[in-house]
Amino acid sequence: MPFQPYMKKRYILIWLLVCLLIFASGVAVGQKTQNAALAEPVVVSPADKAAIETFEKHVKGYIELRNKVRANAPKLSKDSTPEQIHAYRTTLEQSLRNARPNAKRGEFFRPETADFIRRTLKIEFQGKDRRELRDQIFETETQGVVLRVNYPYAQTAELSEMPATLLTKLPQLPKELRYRFVGRNMLLVDRESDLIIDFMPEALP
Amino acid sequence: MRRIHAHHFLFALLISAIFFTPASAQKLNGKSTAAAKSADNAPLKLTLPVKDGSVRFAVIGDTGSGTEQQRDVGDMMVKYHGLFPYEFVLMMGDNMYGGEAPQDFEKKFAEPYRVLLTDKVKFYATLGNHDQALQTNYKNFNMDGKEYYRFTKGDVAFYSLNSNYMDKKQVKWLEDELAKETSKWKICFFHHPPYSSAKKHGSDGQLREAVEPIFLKYGVKVVLTGHDHVYERIKPQKGIYYFVSGAGGKLRTGDIDKNSGLTEKSYDRDLHFMLFEIAGDQMYFQAISRTGETIDSGVINRK
Repeated sequence: MPFQPYMKKRYILIWLLVCLLIFASGVAVGQKTQNAALAEPVVVSPADKAAIETFEKHVKGYIELRNKVRANAPKLSKDSTPEQIHAYRTTLEQSLRNARPNAKRGEFFRPETADFIRRTLKIEFQGKDRRELRDQIFETETQGVVLRVNYPYAQTAELSEMPATLLTKLPQLPKELRYRFVGRNMLLVDRESDLIIDFMPEALP
Repeated sequence: MRRIHAHHFLFALLISAIFFTPASAQKLNGKSTAAAKSADNAPLKLTLPVKDGSVRFAVIGDTGSGTEQQRDVGDMMVKYHGLFPYEFVLMMGDNMYGGEAPQDFEKKFAEPYRVLLTDKVKFYATLGNHDQALQTNYKNFNMDGKEYYRFTKGDVAFYSLNSNYMDKKQVKWLEDELAKETSKWKICFFHHPPYSSAKKHGSDGQLREAVEPIFLKYGVKVVLTGHDHVYERIKPQKGIYYFVSGAGGKLRTGDIDKNSGLTEKSYDRDLHFMLFEIAGDQMYFQAISRTGETIDSGVINRK
C-alpha cells in the first residue's frame, strides 16, 4: 500500500506527541527531584547539635537577664495607652543596654552556630522556586538600620517577613527574641525593645 | 408655587437625612480633600441586606499613613456606619508607617477614626511589616497583648495571625484552635496575601505553603489580607475566598497585573474599605472607594 501524504503527517504528529510526553515527564521528574531536595532536612551532625545547644544556652542566659531587667521596668497591660507603651519600650531598651555594657557581635552567633545557620540558609534558599523568597527579603526597605549590637533597630524601617519554611529549620527562639534579615545579614532582635542582640554579616548566600 | 416649595423642602430633608448624621456633621468640622467633598453629593449605595441579628463588620488595610486621604476613608466609613451599623473593624496590618511615638498613634489611627471610636466601634488589628510588636498592647487594637489571637462574634470565629513571623509555635496554635473550633464560619486575617495579582509584592508562596493546608483541613472559608496597596477579590482557590484589602491609607495606582489569572475583581485607582455582613450561611460583602463608589459586591455561601 503506497504511503499516503496524510498518513505521513499523522505519523509525524504521533511522534511529536510521544516526544512531548517524554519531555514533559522528564521535566516533572526533575522538578520533583528538586523539590524533594529542598524538602530534605538539614543534616544535623553531633557538632551542629552541640553548636545549637550552646546557642540555646546563651539565649536562655539572655532571657534570665531580661526577666530581671523587666521586673524593674514599668508594667505594661494589654490595654495600654501609647504613652505607656512608649515609656515601657524606652525603659526596657535603656535597661537592657545598661545590663549588657560589653555586648559584642558573635556572642550568640558563635562560629560553629553561624556555620550551621549559613548551611541551613544555603539549602533553604537554593532552587528556582526560592528566588521569590530572596527577592522578598531584598525588597524590604531597611534604610536607616545601623547594624550595631546593643543598639535599636530603626523604628522607621520595614521588617522583613521571616519565611515560615525557614523558621522551622532554625534553632527555635523564645517569644522574647526574633530572627530578622537586613539585606544579606541575619539579626537576633529583642522583640519588645527592638534591640539588636547579635547579627551575622552576609548570612544569606 | 407652594407645591414647588414643598417639593424643594422634601428634597432637602431627604438629603439631610442621608448626609447629616451626627457623625458626618462632626466630619465636616474636620479636614477633607476636594475629591471627598465632591463625593459628599454622591448618594451612598448599600448592597448589604442589613438583616436582624447578623454579624456586621468593616475591613481596612495598610492604613497608617496619617494622610488626608486616610482621613477621607475614615470619613466615608462614618457615613456608611450610619446606613450599616457595623459593630467592629478588622485591620489588615501596617497600622502605622514610619514611627510609633504617642503622636503617631494619634495622627495615624485615633484621629482618622475618632467618630467610630466615639461610637464604640471596636477595632481588631493584626501586625504588618511596618508595625512594632508592642502594638499588641495598645488598648484600641484589642489584640489582648498577643501577636496572634482569636475572637468570636455570633457564629463566626476570627483568627488574627502574625504573617511576619509564622513560626512552628504559631502554626501549631492555629491548628490546635481550629481543630476544636465550633463556630460555623472561620475567617482568618493577616497581613501578607497568599494570593495577589499586585506587581509590587504579589502572592506570598511560602506563607501559603505553611497555612493553606490548615485552612483546607479545618474549613476556613474566607481569608482577608492587605500588604499590596490595592483591592482584589481572588477567584476562589480550592474553595477558599481570598481578599486583598491593602489600600486604606496608601495606594499603588495601576499595580494590578491584569494577566495573573487570579483576579475575580480588582481596583487600584483609589483608596477603599470593605463592609461585611454574615447572616446564617451567607456572607455579603461590599468594597467601597474613598469617594463612596461601590467597587465590588457579592455574596459567599458557606456550604
